[in-house]
Amino acid sequence: MSTSTLTISAPDTSHPTRGGALLRFLRAFVKRPAGLAGLAILVCVAVLALAAPLYMGQNDLDVTKVSGPLLAPPSGGYPLGTDQAGRSILLLVLWGARSSLAIGAIATLLTVLLGSSVGLLAGHYQGWIGKGLMHLTDWFIALPSLPLAISLAAVLGQGSTSITIAIAVTSWTGTARLVRAQTLAVEARPYIERARALGAGNLQVMLRHVLPNVAPLIMVSSTLTVASAILSETTLTFLGLGDPTSVSWGSMLDAAFAGGAMTAGAWWYLLPPGVAILIVVLGFTLTGRAVEHILNPRMGVGT
Amino acid sequence: MSLATDPPAAADPATGARNHDSAPRAAAARSAFLHYLGSKLLAALVSFAITLLIGFVLFQLMPADPVQTLTRGHPTSYAQMVHLRHQLGLDQPVWRRFVTFVANTLQGKLGDSWQFQQPVSGLIAARLWPTLLLTGASTVLSIVVGLWLGVRSGWRHGGLLDKVTSSVALTFWSVPTFWLGMILLIVFSVGLGPIPALFPAGGMSDPSLPQTGFTHIVDVARHLVLPAATLVLVVFAQYTTIMRSSIIDELGSPYLLTARAKGLTDALVRRRHAVPNALLPSVTVIFLQLGGLVTGAITVETVFSWPGLGYLTYQALQVPDLPLLQGTFIFFSASVILMNLLADVAYRFLDPRVRAQ
Amino acid sequence: MVVRESRRIRAVLAAACVSGLLLAGPAALITATSAAADSSTSATSGTTLRAAMDSSGVDTLNPFLAYFDGALGIFGDVYPALNSVSADGTSGPYLASSWTTSADKLTWTFKIRSGLTWSDGQPLTAEDAAWTFNLIMTNSTAATANGSLVSNFASVSAPDATTLVITTKVPQANMLSVSVPVTGIPIVPKHIWEQHTGDLKNFKNDSYPLVGYGPWQLTDYKPDQYAKLDANKTFVLGAPKFDHLIEPVYKTQDAAVAALRSGQLDFVSTINPTQYQALRGQQNLDSFDAAYHHWVAVEMNPGAKTRSGKAIGTGNPALADPAVRTAIALATDKKTLVTKVINGLGEPGAGYLPPAWKQWAWTPPAGEALDYDPAKANATLDTAGYTKGSDGIRIDPKTHKPLELRLGIHSDSARDTAISTYMSGWLAAVGIKVDIQSLSMSKLNDNLAKGDWDLLMDSWSTGADPTYLLGIQTCATLPMDDGTGGNTDAFYCNPEFDKLFQQQQTAFDPAQRSQIVGQMQDILYKANSDLILYYDNQLNVVRTDTVKNLAAGTADANGMLPAQALFWDYINAAPAKAAGSSSSSGAVGWGVGAAAVVLLAAGGLVIRRRRSNSDERE
Repeated sequence: MSTSTLTISAPDTSHPTRGGALLRFLRAFVKRPAGLAGLAILVCVAVLALAAPLYMGQNDLDVTKVSGPLLAPPSGGYPLGTDQAGRSILLLVLWGARSSLAIGAIATLLTVLLGSSVGLLAGHYQGWIGKGLMHLTDWFIALPSLPLAISLAAVLGQGSTSITIAIAVTSWTGTARLVRAQTLAVEARPYIERARALGAGNLQVMLRHVLPNVAPLIMVSSTLTVASAILSETTLTFLGLGDPTSVSWGSMLDAAFAGGAMTAGAWWYLLPPGVAILIVVLGFTLTGRAVEHILNPRMGVGT
Repeated sequence: MSLATDPPAAADPATGARNHDSAPRAAAARSAFLHYLGSKLLAALVSFAITLLIGFVLFQLMPADPVQTLTRGHPTSYAQMVHLRHQLGLDQPVWRRFVTFVANTLQGKLGDSWQFQQPVSGLIAARLWPTLLLTGASTVLSIVVGLWLGVRSGWRHGGLLDKVTSSVALTFWSVPTFWLGMILLIVFSVGLGPIPALFPAGGMSDPSLPQTGFTHIVDVARHLVLPAATLVLVVFAQYTTIMRSSIIDELGSPYLLTARAKGLTDALVRRRHAVPNALLPSVTVIFLQLGGLVTGAITVETVFSWPGLGYLTYQALQVPDLPLLQGTFIFFSASVILMNLLADVAYRFLDPRVRAQ
Repeated sequence: MVVRESRRIRAVLAAACVSGLLLAGPAALITATSAAADSSTSATSGTTLRAAMDSSGVDTLNPFLAYFDGALGIFGDVYPALNSVSADGTSGPYLASSWTTSADKLTWTFKIRSGLTWSDGQPLTAEDAAWTFNLIMTNSTAATANGSLVSNFASVSAPDATTLVITTKVPQANMLSVSVPVTGIPIVPKHIWEQHTGDLKNFKNDSYPLVGYGPWQLTDYKPDQYAKLDANKTFVLGAPKFDHLIEPVYKTQDAAVAALRSGQLDFVSTINPTQYQALRGQQNLDSFDAAYHHWVAVEMNPGAKTRSGKAIGTGNPALADPAVRTAIALATDKKTLVTKVINGLGEPGAGYLPPAWKQWAWTPPAGEALDYDPAKANATLDTAGYTKGSDGIRIDPKTHKPLELRLGIHSDSARDTAISTYMSGWLAAVGIKVDIQSLSMSKLNDNLAKGDWDLLMDSWSTGADPTYLLGIQTCATLPMDDGTGGNTDAFYCNPEFDKLFQQQQTAFDPAQRSQIVGQMQDILYKANSDLILYYDNQLNVVRTDTVKNLAAGTADANGMLPAQALFWDYINAAPAKAAGSSSSSGAVGWGVGAAAVVLLAAGGLVIRRRRSNSDERE
């Protein structure tokens, strides 16, 4: 929510020099330990997830091939215990990162594409198109996101595709508003007028001049969107809208909840997926906030 | 978790003087306010109309024949199925169903649930109070806890309390609500290690106790503790964050320096000058949250067997029972739209700059 | 002036808080006061049995409409039936003390007990039964839930208060299962219900205490919360030992089990294997497993056809080949499913009817059993011409496409999820690729009816009378050409099977009927359109410090009890000690609960006080 107050103070009179800005940005980022920690977490998780096929075989997750004890607490061979089919929880959590991150990333990509296009168009064309788009955004904002996502996913049918779509459809509005506001600010700058005077068309203004200035903002907003998309994925899967047979953190929690893990006191089945979600969401949030603070020094002190 | 409107900046104390308006200006302001109210009302109505349309389109796209589902597992003859299909209005053309749908919705008739075979509005009404109790109590607690922490951590930002609060708030924001509920349930209701089972595992009251009087109220409160705590832990951060940043914004204001110069104690300056001005943005957030909180209850009610609307939605989802899902969707949307409208009005009523426009 | 602004804000903030309280306050009050009316009827004195309601809950208390097991369980307890069913499935007397059939087996004459009264004092006679049956036969709304049970009835009449005469169109062997508690038709008081026949659809039947007759009387019901019942101490089949029965609703079995552990519940039925094992051997708890008339299966689409023989749907044509279905059966390791999915608490499947009903138990003859044998499965497919492609997946010789099958599972079923991952592994080992599709209940049943499926997870439980379960395998249940009218289980259709089905319906000699039903199961086993994976036990847990004698029967060598009927279990259960238990561990919870109430009230007061004070402080 803090993103919505965000405005970027960029030089007004000339094109910003991108190389220099990047360097300045990196220098500022290194000075933010929380942001660095967040980024480090994300890099670690991403590497572990991408490299998963290198250090584990599909046989480790195939219930007909594994031989572990059923729902057993942590032990030497199984550092985080086993699930009800005798699979290692540790391996499941690591493998689950792949689909959880993938859904988070794809949903965010869709969100950003949708949100930025609407925002850019609404900011650039200030006539009835802009007004119409802004009204559309407002209407969507008024709709409660979880019930809408639930209804969408229920209608589209179970599975990760419909969950991804449901997340994107319910979370693009924030990005759209941000991008519109920033587009308005950028287009008010003198150099845009100059570009127009030199004969730049609508498309050129939007893509060559406005978009590069809005991009950092989109990046910040998308970092935070990934965090909430991962949380939404978990919630929708828990409500039974995901694909229960694919290994993801949401489906693990769903299986643990439905399978009586609470009665069995199987904390090793319930805790790891939740903690994994916590770590990744924290990683995205910390990174996003650090970037946000650098781009917008007015945000003040803290976290 | 995203918020609907821009959190407004803190009130500018310098404009407070505009309260002392002369009569003609007050009249003009009143008509401006009515105009504002009218436009917001219209926007809310349009939102509701769109909700109806989306609701109908969504739930008509669903191709599955509910009759097969309803009768599965039960001896059913063909004639029974035809009768059931007719009873549910499934043998009518789509446009006719839409007209009927809009007319009925406006009269509060949300159709009959497929699985419960009774009016959706009645099902919603029967579960409204438990949900209001849960969300109402959580709201009060979150407001109290969230704002208090926000003031304290903003006033001494960078201090220990600030750091602890921010980390705790960030942590709870980063976990799925239902997972937090499950953990609380294991620790405090099943009992973990030396911790005994302190609270009931679910439901709203213990039916073997008398359902009246103070015992009953305490019993309900006892059942309320864990689900409400789950919601509060996830939500309070919203209030803390906004309160904290508005307090920080106030810190540099000249009027605070003046107040201090007058020799007021730190606590008095905070309580009587900084907090009141920093409250404005929070108020808007509170109203926005009131609508959102109802939907936040969906997973929590499922985990804690709370007999409310959230669990009803979950039940509807399992079939899926489309009229019921449609009904809860419309109901949730309407309550959010209403709360947004209230937030707009409250904001206008409070912020002198907006009023003066 | 700064403070002027602030007062306004404070006022609104207080308003927000108060509106929060207002949301909460009346809710608490309403729950408190609305219950006040009931407390007079359900006395708090006496002993109480607290048993978790079936997690399906109650859909409606109107017995002509209800489908959910929670509701059916309540009807069994509060409305009478013609016959009772003992736990082993034999029908006995209830309202009817004896019965005779005519020589042509078309006319049944029931002798109805005299001197029974409904709970409001009105006499309970044969007329009530005749009226109930006639209503279901003539009123299509009344037929919603139980219409098919009377579809063979020609007429029902009550010539006098103690005689009920039912004539059927063709002989009906399962007549004594038509009106039985829980699974059959409940008989309702005519003097109450005849006022509601015009608007039966909207009659909620929710005025308490409910007028009925049975071991219990319903005194209160709150949706999604609980049902309260009082014992009928003059019940004709034996009075319940407890004075009250409370059935709280828990959305998850874990919550119910947690309540049981902390002493807020006495009994939870149908827990899952993980919970069963966690609870076994715990102090004051007796978790017992009992035979269960239930199975879990994989249906295979043998080539969906309509009644007229027109092929429909998108089923993979390879499954029409018996060799493929046999290979799938051979590739499925049922024993491992039993040990891993249900922790050994059940039996690998074979016959179509659950062996818990001993009278229908059937096992494949020696040498014909399709036991787990992946090598044989591979050989079967090789012989039938399905050669493996380079990626290990077999190619269908007729369509030249890879052998890839969809497996539809119920998205809300953890059991289906678990089983499907095993099936997919085993079938991959014999060169069949499985695409698991998680479907909502509606979607799955819709696909099933249209024939748009290859493999589907399926499960059924059955009462002692197998007519319905056998019936869904007959050609008569195939859909018509327009896609309607079908309730087939898996598009199985075999005239030979249908002939036997007719025969068993009119076979009045139990041994003869059992023999025919055995032949039918043999046919189904060889057809492999329903691959029965396992029969699971029913797992229950009861508190031993508050309840005794709940479970009926004696355990066999494996510690398994015979099948249980909750109808009888609740009647037989007796208090283990004089008073109900009080849980001490919850004391802190009570304290916190009280503190929360005080805190909320105080919070409201403080806000109000602050508001009034701020004026003075100016």
